[in-house]
Amino acid sequence: MLRTRCRLPALAGLLAMLAAAVAQADTPRLATLDWTLAETLVALDAPPLASAQLEAYHAWVDEPALPDTTIDLGLRSQPNLELLARLAPDHILISPMFANLAPRLERIASVKTLPLYRAEQDTWQEMRRLTRSLGELVERPEAARRLIDTTEARLDTLGARLDGTAPPPLLMVQFMDGRHVRVFGDNGLFQAVLDRLALTNAWTGPTNAWGFSLAGIEALAGLDARLVVIEPYPAGVRETLAESGLWQHLVEAGRGSPIVLPPVWSFGAMPSALRFAERLVDALENDDAV
Amino acid sequence: MPSDALPRRCRPRLTPAGLCLVLGLIALAMAVVELDARLGLGPGLNALLTPGETARALAMHFAWWPRLAMALLAGGGLALAGVLMQQVLRNPLAAPTTLGVASGANLALMAATLMAPGLLVLGREWVALAGGGGAMALVFALAWRRGLAPVVVVLGGLVVNLYFGALSMVLLLFHQEELKGLLIWGAGSLAQNGWQDVAFLAPRLALGTLAAAWLLRPLAVLELSEAGARSLGVSLKHLRLAGLGLAVFLTGCVVSVVGIIGFIGLAAPNIVRLAGARRLGTRLLWSTLLGALLLATTDLLLQHFSGVLPTLIPTGATTAALGAPLLLWLIPRLNLGGEAPSREARAIGTRHPAPGRLAAWLSLSLAGVTLVALLVGQAGDGWHWTTPGDWALLEWRLPRVLAAAGCGVMLAIAGTLIQRLTGNPMASPELLGISGGSAIALMGAIFLLPAPDNLTLVGAGTLGALASLTVVVALNRQSGFQPERLLLTGVAITALFDAVRAVVLAGGDPRGQQVIAWLSGSTYYVDLTSALTVSGAALLLALAAIPLARWLDILPLGGACAAALGLPLARARLVLLLLVALLTAGATLVVGPLSFVGLLAPHLARLLGFSRAAPHLAGAAISGALLMVVADWLGRQWLFPEEIPAGLMASLLGGAYFMWGLRRL
Repeated sequence: MLRTRCRLPALAGLLAMLAAAVAQADTPRLATLDWTLAETLVALDAPPLASAQLEAYHAWVDEPALPDTTIDLGLRSQPNLELLARLAPDHILISPMFANLAPRLERIASVKTLPLYRAEQDTWQEMRRLTRSLGELVERPEAARRLIDTTEARLDTLGARLDGTAPPPLLMVQFMDGRHVRVFGDNGLFQAVLDRLALTNAWTGPTNAWGFSLAGIEALAGLDARLVVIEPYPAGVRETLAESGLWQHLVEAGRGSPIVLPPVWSFGAMPSALRFAERLVDALENDDAV
Repeated sequence: MPSDALPRRCRPRLTPAGLCLVLGLIALAMAVVELDARLGLGPGLNALLTPGETARALAMHFAWWPRLAMALLAGGGLALAGVLMQQVLRNPLAAPTTLGVASGANLALMAATLMAPGLLVLGREWVALAGGGGAMALVFALAWRRGLAPVVVVLGGLVVNLYFGALSMVLLLFHQEELKGLLIWGAGSLAQNGWQDVAFLAPRLALGTLAAAWLLRPLAVLELSEAGARSLGVSLKHLRLAGLGLAVFLTGCVVSVVGIIGFIGLAAPNIVRLAGARRLGTRLLWSTLLGALLLATTDLLLQHFSGVLPTLIPTGATTAALGAPLLLWLIPRLNLGGEAPSREARAIGTRHPAPGRLAAWLSLSLAGVTLVALLVGQAGDGWHWTTPGDWALLEWRLPRVLAAAGCGVMLAIAGTLIQRLTGNPMASPELLGISGGSAIALMGAIFLLPAPDNLTLVGAGTLGALASLTVVVALNRQSGFQPERLLLTGVAITALFDAVRAVVLAGGDPRGQQVIAWLSGSTYYVDLTSALTVSGAALLLALAAIPLARWLDILPLGGACAAALGLPLARARLVLLLLVALLTAGATLVVGPLSFVGLLAPHLARLLGFSRAAPHLAGAAISGALLMVVADWLGRQWLFPEEIPAGLMASLLGGAYFMWGLRRL
């Protein structure tokens, strides 16, 4: 149940390597507790020295992958302070969610709090702003500009591929168990992507600050939409759904069979947004071809 | 005996049948209104039998009707299980969740999700039943040698509950993303999307009801005193096993399908008893009916009002939240009467011939452990003895060791005080509701304020602790702080806390991670100033407890006996209570609601052989500190760089030792 980790010798070597690597690079040495910040840093080609819960990062965010040299700080909510103090980074980047850690972390290095997904703010503008401020922090403003430009250009291309196909409104859900889903809507990453692709979201109900709403499957009944299921399916849920009368009717009444997309970090920044867009557009296109 | 102590007749107007009728009418009216609003009465009724064509009719057929049926079934099943447990354990506070069934099922589902998802494909209800059954079997194994004596069963159930709860918290802390679905389950949602769950539950509950009817006569014998029952030639062990086993089966079936639904199993039997039902048969019948109607009414109301929220409000947590004020209202109306000492409460452990020497040995090991905790630790490249070169490390370690020790002392003393005050071995600081109250306030602060800093959190926590203390004092002043009532007040506040936590976590908000981290009781957030404050406060309050030792020697003998010995009962209780509140609030604010230590340390001390009040206090304080320092250090090193919070480690270590001790009895 509790796996003991056997990566200590590897870590020792890494520390030495890093010490050498850091000597040559001028970019500030950063530690971040937030996966969204970490993925953006990787996309800026300035991966963080250390981040938290790396195994879970690779399970849930996956791409862009953190380099093998990244040091694991432990839990996101309680990073290992002794380890962090030994690494002595120049800055520690956090999101407002971990603001209560700031006083402790301040004793190790300067703490920068970078918000994303604030209520009442346009998510895409916020993502741009976040990318720019990270670019300035790692002293690579041109990389940030490039990331924004290429992401937006790519999204435009993807949007253009859908021109003339008139896809139906989409209903994006992720299964929590056999009876409940997260429905993604306003304020979230997926909505921001739909907006850029000029697609319609069938879910107009209220959502929380992270852009989703927890609902029973019955809340989806009566919405005229194409279902988009974002993996992973929790264990046993496919089987439960096969028995669920309501789900079967939903699938029959919906516009075509559900689109199933591989996992995407639903609270991510530009890299996650682009991944989602690529997969969604691919699925919609291939579907039309059939 | 508490079950006898309840009022024979409360008010002539209030009968169980009348209650059920009123509640039934409310539920019926709600259902008719809903049907009418959703589909129109005729088509709505029609949708019960046929799916229909429109989306609305489909939703009625596959969601609304099965949900109503499920609420009735689940409520009835849980209430039935509650009556059985209260009858067998002769404890009005026993409930389906008391015996570890829910937490066992929860742990089994979590472990299966992480390690053997294939099992969940075979059927999650079977995994849940296996987990619940396993937890119950463990409780039985712990209590077997004592003939499943009520006190030992309740105690074993409590420990298994805490132990499994702590294990689930560890899993949750490290795998929040994978386990988010189970958080909804843990909050008890009745949402349905077909008839398959109702079809699963109905025959099993019918079977359980039949078995309960069959057990009715022998179980009624339990209302006699133990000796009386034995003289009638009833095998108590087997009878209790059958009664509890049946209750577990019922609970397991319900819980595996809809998740943990609090309070119904506790409230329905108590309300029915207050309304005047005395014989077991009548209580079984009306409690089952009342439980079904209670849950159905709550769920209908909830569906009516929660439509506009961006998140789902789980029914199980809501019943618990609504039930808490109800229980608070009920408490002054419960005639618990008996000031008799609870038998067997002090039967644990034998007296050590020289408590002083024992205490010295304990202190010596505490000093040794503290030294190790300060000097030994891992870094990125392996184990290190702290050399004079890196004293800087102590900046991180010293506050944590100090805070752990201080909180251990405070909680242990609080636990000793309250266990002696109430004469109830189940008592712990958390049961008074003070940590619960401050935890509610803290969760509120984390979720409602944009980016709360630690000072704000401490302020909110203090306010919460004070508020719950005020409630406790206000409700209990009239009864002169009677132990059973005091505990009931605490149970109500704790139920409210559990409900708030379940709702907060079920929503899947990423901030839940922070809540889990804090709730599991870590010394992580402590800096040197607060660590010094905590240990200073611990020392002062410990000294304050010493002059109270005489009271503490007398109080467990029972109220009547203590009064006869010239003890100012009400004043003594109030003073002790305030001290407990201060100790608990102090510890909670720093390291979260670590009540396990408060429960375990006094028992540990007793098992070691400290039996009179003054040595008991000292022994508990030292073992509490020892437990916490070891737990804190182990928690920091075991899964390095990830840290297991000290509170969880303490309950894992302490719980294991405690179970071993119980088994030896």
